[in-house]
Amino acid sequence: MKNKQLIACQQCDALYDKPELKQGQSAKCVRCGSVMAERKVDFIERSFNWSLAGIVLLMPAILLPIMGVTLAGQYNNASLLDCILVLIDRGFFMIASLVFLFAIAVPVVRLLGAFYITYSFKFNKLKPSLLSFFRAFHYLDNWAMLNVFMLGIVVSMYKLIDDTELSVNMGLMAFILWLISSTMASISLDPDYIWQELEDNFID
Amino acid sequence: MINTAKEQQLALCPQCHKLNDLSYIADKEKKLRCARCHGKFYQRKPNSLQYTLAWNIAALIAFIPANLYPIMIIYSLGIGDPSTILSGIGQFVDQGLYPIAVIIFTASIIVPLLKIIGLFLLVYRVYTGVRLRPDKHSKFYHVLEFLGPWSMLDVFVVALLVAVVELGFVTSVAAGPAINYFTLTVIFTMFAANSFDPRLLWDKKQSIDGSKEENDK
Repeated sequence: MKNKQLIACQQCDALYDKPELKQGQSAKCVRCGSVMAERKVDFIERSFNWSLAGIVLLMPAILLPIMGVTLAGQYNNASLLDCILVLIDRGFFMIASLVFLFAIAVPVVRLLGAFYITYSFKFNKLKPSLLSFFRAFHYLDNWAMLNVFMLGIVVSMYKLIDDTELSVNMGLMAFILWLISSTMASISLDPDYIWQELEDNFID
Repeated sequence: MINTAKEQQLALCPQCHKLNDLSYIADKEKKLRCARCHGKFYQRKPNSLQYTLAWNIAALIAFIPANLYPIMIIYSLGIGDPSTILSGIGQFVDQGLYPIAVIIFTASIIVPLLKIIGLFLLVYRVYTGVRLRPDKHSKFYHVLEFLGPWSMLDVFVVALLVAVVELGFVTSVAAGPAINYFTLTVIFTMFAANSFDPRLLWDKKQSIDGSKEENDK
C-alpha cells in the first residue's frame, strides 16, 4: 500500500514521506509551516493523571458558588449551575442550553473521553468500539469554552467591584483548577499515536 | 512543485488523519467512509465556499440586532437601565477601566467583524485567485479560527451577572434580547470558519501557476 509510508499536511494537503519521530519531536510542513505530526512525551501517564484530577474537580467546579455580592445588607452568590438555572427561569432557553453545552457538557464529555481513552491504553483494555468513540471525541474539539468562561468571570468581577461588595467563593478556586487540568489533559493527549495503535490492533 | 495528496488519489480523514487511498473507489460522488475510523470524509469539503458565504451572511444579519437591542438591563430600586454592547463598553471607559474596555471591545465587536470580513475576503480570493498568497492567507485563517470562541465572552459575562446580582428590589440584572442575536452571530461565524477549507487556497495557487507555465511554453 503506497499510503502507509506517506503523510499529508492537514492544512495544505502537501504529501511527504512519513517521518520517523522520537518522543518529543514534531514534523512541520515546509509549504505552510503547520505541525503535521507530533510524538508527545509520556502522554498516557500524563493525560490519565490530568483527566483524573479534572474528574475529581468536576463537581465542586460546577456546584460550588463562584462569587457573591453584598449590597445594602443583602447577600447572594451563584455557581456555574446557577447561571444556567437562572437563565432557564427567565426564559432564555437558547442561551441557557448553549452555556450549558460550551461550559459544562462539552468539557465534561471531553474530560471523560480523555480519561476513558488513556485508561484503556494504560491497562491494556483496547476494544474495537474505541475507534468510533475516539472519532466522536474529535468532533468536540472546537466547542469547549472553559477558558472563555474564565475570562468572563474576571470581566464580571470588574463590573461588580465598583458598586457592590464582592466576595470570592471556593467555586472559583475549583473552577480554575478544573480549567487547568482539563486543558492539560487534552493538550498532553497524542491522537496520532492512539489512532496508529487502534489501527494496528483492530484493522488489517 | 509540491505533490499533494489529491493529485495522488489520496485523501486525508479530518478526524483521524489517516490517508485513504481513493484510487480503488470508483464512485467518487458516493459518501466516503474512512478506512480507519469509519467517519465520513471528503477529499475537499464539498461546496466549501458556498457554505462559508451563507453562514457569513447569516452572521452579518444577526450582528445588526445584536448591537441595536440592549444586551442587559440593570434594575436598581425598581428602575431599569438598559445597556447595549457598545454602551456597556462606554461605561468601562467612563470608569477608567481601559484594559477591560479593550478586552470586551475586541471580543464583542472586533473579532466578529474581523471574522466576517476576513472570511468574505478569503472566499473572494479563492474564487477569483487575485493576489492569492496561500502562506499568508492560511495563517490568517488560523487566527480567525482561534479567535472565534472568545466572542462568547459577553454572553458568559451576562449569564454570570444575571445569576450573581439577584438582590430583589435593591438591584438585579436581566438579560436583554440582544444576547440571543449575539450568540447566533458567534455560532454562525464559527460554522462559517469550519466550512472553509484552507486547502482550497493552495489548490487555486497551484492551478494558477500551472496554467502560467503552460502559457510560457
